[in-house]
Amino acid sequence: MARDEQALVELIEQASPWLLGLTTSMLTDQDEAEEVVLEVFATAWDRVGALGDEHDALLPWLLRIARNRAIDRLRRRRRWRLKLARAEAYGELPPDRVRATEVDEAAQPGWHVHQSVHGALERLPVEQREVVQLAYFQGLTHSEIARRLGIPMGTVKTRLRLALDKLRVSLAGIKDWIG
Amino acid sequence: MNPHDWYVENRAGFVARSLEPREERTFRDHLVRCDECSREVARLERDLGWLPMGVLPVAPAPGFSRRAAAHLLDRTRRWRRAVPLAAAAVLALAAGGLALAEHRQGRDLLAVLEQQETRLDALEDTLSVLRQANTVLQTQISMNGHSQGGMLIFQDASSHRWVVIVHGLPPAPAGSKYQFWFITETGMVRSVEVDATMKRPAFMTLPMPGVPAPVTGAALTMEPAVSRSDEPKGPMLAHVVF
Repeated sequence: MARDEQALVELIEQASPWLLGLTTSMLTDQDEAEEVVLEVFATAWDRVGALGDEHDALLPWLLRIARNRAIDRLRRRRRWRLKLARAEAYGELPPDRVRATEVDEAAQPGWHVHQSVHGALERLPVEQREVVQLAYFQGLTHSEIARRLGIPMGTVKTRLRLALDKLRVSLAGIKDWIG
Repeated sequence: MNPHDWYVENRAGFVARSLEPREERTFRDHLVRCDECSREVARLERDLGWLPMGVLPVAPAPGFSRRAAAHLLDRTRRWRRAVPLAAAAVLALAAGGLALAEHRQGRDLLAVLEQQETRLDALEDTLSVLRQANTVLQTQISMNGHSQGGMLIFQDASSHRWVVIVHGLPPAPAGSKYQFWFITETGMVRSVEVDATMKRPAFMTLPMPGVPAPVTGAALTMEPAVSRSDEPKGPMLAHVVF
């Protein structure tokens, strides 16, 4: 990645909606989500040399940093406890598809990847998809998911493992489109 | 279940970050020492790299991209100015490091304690399969026409796992190994190698194989030690069919 300001702005413009989508969904707070995305870019900027491996695509790398940061925040601030309590009070967890600000979907770069991933998630059996949503997109641990769904922890682990095995097959072949 | 099985079983949980924080630390420590797990985790992370895009995009606030770019470029400029100060800070940290060394022993003990707690968790997990088993199957093992120990299978349908116990079996002859197989409607599926010793039973916790065909039974065979075949080549020592 050239350290050129215009290239940087273009990269941020393409990646931000997806990073914000993920962090907003996980943190349910757009200000905090923006903070995390700024941290992600700062971390990536500092570590850009580590992205020499041809197998590492840029956006998945940024998304992984974002998700880890979001989970760290959820756990560090114990907000997830509040979130669980709130979810239980309303009988539902927050929706996994938060729409904070409308985007023009058809014009959104990367929309085809979203459709592929969304399709792969939809093809999972409901009970496996539910565990993936709670673990991967809500940052809950095995024991929290087991409590939430009223199933044994071993079942949570098995469903998650089976789901991720299927997803890794479904997502194979998606190419990096950013940069 | 040997200690490494726990790590194999929890690779997906580690990548999803759904392990408990204590387990996550233990797993992370393990990755430093285990090339196999480190490689598999990296592969899984790469294969699932696009998964976060399953969430809908959110439009950034106006000016966010410019603001973010300015923030990064400003950090770079500040970093360049800070290099001499950083060098001094490194020297100060090195001095402080000597004092910290004394605390390391206590930290090592904590790490051992955490590993033991994780092992206990793994054992409790195995025990849960035994307690929740819907079906328990027992069969004798036969070698050279003589009965030689037995095989017990605890099947937990809710977690789709088995605990398999093989007992009374002597160590495999030189150049051979004991191989456990799942029998499915479409054929045999290779599972784990059974490390037999007369002194104690071999104890294994196994997830169901990742094949679409239902599992209808299990078998134990003796195979050449180097065999990686997907079909049994050696003699059948035991088998059960539901």
